[in-house]
Amino acid sequence: MGAVAAALVPGMPHLLAADPAPSWRELAAATRTVGDRLRERGVEAVLLLSTQWFTVLGHQVQCDPHLTGTRTDENWYAYDYGHLRYDLAVDAELAHAWADRIDAAGLQARRTRYTGFPVDTGTVTAAALLGPFPLAMVSCNLYADPDVLATVAAAGVAAAGDRRVAVVAVSGLSSGLIPRWITPAEDRIAEPEHDRWNRKVLDALAAGDDVAPLRAEFTRAAQADSQFRAHAFLTGSGAAGGKAEVLAYGPVWGTGAAVVWWEG
Amino acid sequence: MARVFHATAGSSRTVRKRGGIVAGYLAPHPPHLVYAENPPQNEPRSTGGWEVLRWGYEELRRRLAVHKPDVLVVHAPHWITMVGHHVNCVPNPRGISVEPIFPHLFRYHYDFATDVDLAEAIVAEAADAGLVTSAMRDPGVRVDYATIGALHLANPAWDIPVVSLSANNNPYFYSDAALDEMETLGAATARAIERTGRRAVLLASNSLSHLHWDREPDLPEDMGVERPFDHHQYAGDMELLQVVREGPTERLRAAVPKHIAATQAETKAGSLTWLLAAMGWPAIAGDVLAYGTVIATGNAVVEWVP
Repeated sequence: MGAVAAALVPGMPHLLAADPAPSWRELAAATRTVGDRLRERGVEAVLLLSTQWFTVLGHQVQCDPHLTGTRTDENWYAYDYGHLRYDLAVDAELAHAWADRIDAAGLQARRTRYTGFPVDTGTVTAAALLGPFPLAMVSCNLYADPDVLATVAAAGVAAAGDRRVAVVAVSGLSSGLIPRWITPAEDRIAEPEHDRWNRKVLDALAAGDDVAPLRAEFTRAAQADSQFRAHAFLTGSGAAGGKAEVLAYGPVWGTGAAVVWWEG
Repeated sequence: MARVFHATAGSSRTVRKRGGIVAGYLAPHPPHLVYAENPPQNEPRSTGGWEVLRWGYEELRRRLAVHKPDVLVVHAPHWITMVGHHVNCVPNPRGISVEPIFPHLFRYHYDFATDVDLAEAIVAEAADAGLVTSAMRDPGVRVDYATIGALHLANPAWDIPVVSLSANNNPYFYSDAALDEMETLGAATARAIERTGRRAVLLASNSLSHLHWDREPDLPEDMGVERPFDHHQYAGDMELLQVVREGPTERLRAAVPKHIAATQAETKAGSLTWLLAAMGWPAIAGDVLAYGTVIATGNAVVEWVP
């Protein structure tokens, strides 16, 4: 039946801060809005890719049906948002079907189910804000071309069959951090040029333009998070082809972050 | 005619009695090497593989026993910290480290002692040198496989205290470490070692050429498919190792960035530059104990003794 919606959401844990910067609060509220919309549309499972779960061999698919624990972030551990409890339900049947479809597409799926597996901060942050959807998660191969990530997403939607699913990519825009410890009030996009490029890309998405031709330049000019391949994943799902709605945009420790919604 | 400087390889068995840096090792960390060894701390079982590199590590262990260090100080590229340089100051890190990329190969139960005094001294010296620096005192932070891998392969008994340093990188843009900052961090590390009077051995947990396969054979240790990624990557590694073997290390200031540009070398994370800077870029050659590939990446075990 295809994915009913797609969304890009940030993965920085600052969105869960007890004392957030204004932009962190707005981005968190927008991500919760995405969760509300998914529930309104009766979404049964979310196909999720986080660029913070980066891998190098094939495409890892999380097959553990229940992930629980505390994620202590190796960089943000000194803050409240560096300690994140999680209790995630994985739609293991969908995950295995997704892995099978990835294999069938000529790629290599790697089924992942290990006690103590370190779930990434981006996944935990997004899941906390979206709400308790069953998830099917795939890693972001560092070296996969955008077309390959698009194929991976299409495989997930095909694997879902008659389930009502949505596709979510957890990633950022410009990735230039402020390289020192700051207070929330000091947060801003690290470079004006990064801000300009973030807005250019978001405007293009809102207009329904094809941003793929911008990807390489966006990457060079603004250090785009994982070469903005998260967008290729979303478009590959078939649910992010039209005009997007930008629900929020702002800095997270100098990086650019946005919540973007596509009606499938 | 080009003049080639031939220095004595740094493997003399003279034992330095007083404190300071007594040796430095390029100590790559592919989890495959730990997996292949089947140590009791690691859950997966293998049938072996990558023997030449592991023989190199066996020689490293013999030499380490002669050096009798008080502490092993390791800089590793997979404890990625986006803001500043972090030093693990947890007295007794312990837990299980499930490697997110190779969980089928590396699920390692670690339990080791940190030399907290030296760790705190490195934090203080680095901060005084103007670096953004943090003392990591949270036992909940999982120790990464590059730290564990280098330490296990150098000293599987874990009977020498440890100080581990993070790599200040941006994982989402695959950025390189600022090598000038690694010079500063290395010098700060050396000052802290001198100030605390420790006999220290340094480990730079880096591979060399870093292009690799994106698929794995059904048997991970199938050596029938293990080879360099291509000749260009192999030749780049050999060019660098020739400079290492000839010395002096000063030549590596230029050779390392050139090698990074040519081979996407993991030394871009800065560990090797940190090590050599801490040793003061000594006018010696390195002793290459082994070279081999792991899923096509180049890896060398190298010793420098000042």
